[in-house]
Amino acid sequence: MKKLYSVLVIAILASLVLAACGAGGAKATNLLDAIKQRGYILVSTDPNYEPQSFLNTEGKRPSDTKCPADALTTAEMQGFDVDVAKAVGDDLGVETCFATPSWDAITAGNWADKWDISVGSMTITTARQQILDFSIPYYYTPAVVAVRADSGITDLAGLEGQSLCAGSATTYEQWLNHDMTGLGLPEASIYAQAPNVTVVPLETDQECAQAIASGRNDFVGYVTSATVVDANIAAGFPVVKLGTPVYSENLAVAFDKKSSLPSDTLRAEVDKLFTAMHSDGRLAELSNKWFSSDLTQDPS
Amino acid sequence: MQSDSTSGHVVKPAPSQAELLYEAQQRQTRNFRTNVGLSWGILLLILVYLFSGQNFLGIKTIHLDFEFIRNNMFFIAGGLGQTLLVSVLSIILATILALLAALGRLSTIPPIYALSTFYVSLIRGTPLYLQIFFFFLALPQLGIILTGLMAGVLALGLNYGAYMSEIFRAGLASVGKGQREAAIAIGMNPWQTMKRIVLPQALRFALPPTGNEFIAMTKDSALVSATGFVHEVMWRATRVGRAQFHNLEALIMAALFYWVMTLILSYVQGIIETRLSKGDR
Repeated sequence: MKKLYSVLVIAILASLVLAACGAGGAKATNLLDAIKQRGYILVSTDPNYEPQSFLNTEGKRPSDTKCPADALTTAEMQGFDVDVAKAVGDDLGVETCFATPSWDAITAGNWADKWDISVGSMTITTARQQILDFSIPYYYTPAVVAVRADSGITDLAGLEGQSLCAGSATTYEQWLNHDMTGLGLPEASIYAQAPNVTVVPLETDQECAQAIASGRNDFVGYVTSATVVDANIAAGFPVVKLGTPVYSENLAVAFDKKSSLPSDTLRAEVDKLFTAMHSDGRLAELSNKWFSSDLTQDPS
Repeated sequence: MQSDSTSGHVVKPAPSQAELLYEAQQRQTRNFRTNVGLSWGILLLILVYLFSGQNFLGIKTIHLDFEFIRNNMFFIAGGLGQTLLVSVLSIILATILALLAALGRLSTIPPIYALSTFYVSLIRGTPLYLQIFFFFLALPQLGIILTGLMAGVLALGLNYGAYMSEIFRAGLASVGKGQREAAIAIGMNPWQTMKRIVLPQALRFALPPTGNEFIAMTKDSALVSATGFVHEVMWRATRVGRAQFHNLEALIMAALFYWVMTLILSYVQGIIETRLSKGDR
């Protein structure tokens, strides 16, 4: 019996030691060099949003791709964010690959090196800056409230006491919850205070829009970016934008503060690229291509 | 066939009472099967009609965008391979764990018995959805970075292993005590008894329910899509559905694929079960 106990203890200790040794050694000393060495950059983006980032279901994965098996290639993805990510990859001279974790996993930080950067229209907020580093903004979207077309509501005051939907872990949810510190936007970017409403957070804002379109009445409207509402209206959803934008978001590329290799040189490279792309009009061109309007001018 | 001895010449013998009974039984079975088949057809037609978007005699039906379905059908079906891969890998892991846990449960050594019951209790006492996220989010802190697929397989395997350990335990218990005693009597040691006498009989008992668990697992594998890294049927359906605002159509397509897949697997399972039961006395 004693022998068996000791065998068990040894087995447990051995498995713990093995677990601790799981991490492999990397040669490069910063993320930029590591990316160049392996020949591809792994970008996380949330393919739930047309026209920002969505799947190209007809795209064929190239046979000579360097992307990991569970990552998607540029052929399988499309959208504004995807084109911006591709510009980053091209600038570094590497292939661009896409990881597709859920949005909360991206905004939560601690990526464990599963992907290098996030190019997913992420708003720079104070809360997110605690765990993530941001590039300079590559575009700006106005956030708006959309309501059911037959609701009869015409202004923000009319929403008092009603229910509004937002994607969970989005800035829209924070704005609705009056979480101004978490939102952390400059005063100049906030145009209106949220009315006192019951907030219904769903997995993404797309569920909010579809719930209304399917005839459910758990809430009268939802908060999301003007681009998403435009796409919803274009798809024939019975919603209207409520007045003017409520705030403006600065959208940027995010880097994990806890990545095992420092990302500062990579961030400097991305900043340099975006500055160039802002001034030579390449970003404006991409914006016109996907949104039919130029959203790359700083409104503040 | 025997000739009729009373009439003196050879005629086709009148069917015996037993033959008549047998035939009537056969006819009844055939009739029953035909009627079940017909009813299935009718139910299927009603289901199809419910999704036709037609408005007939004031009965409302569900309207679907068939163009979206046509355009994305093959893309969503492309995830079937991943779904099956996750399920097959997980059921292998689950079977191994279940067998170990069941053996541990029968053990008289306290730490081994405790380990087995602790594992089963912990895993059965927490939701599968949560376990999948746990392996995806917590293990990197220990330096173990699993891919989404591996985290999913680990969670599904551990989860089903815990549930299936009951099946294996029942399988082991189904082997009569007399069998073990007989094995010991002819001089086998416990290991030989387990390997030669108990396990072969227990596994035959445990195989059909394991097949059922596998079929159930093909559907639970949809939860693995939550981490976003396994591009199986459910992941593909939710992404194209959300981006193009057709969640309903996309999910119905996924449902159809899962259903067809379980129909096929159930059929295979039926064949295996008939085969295994042949040796039963």
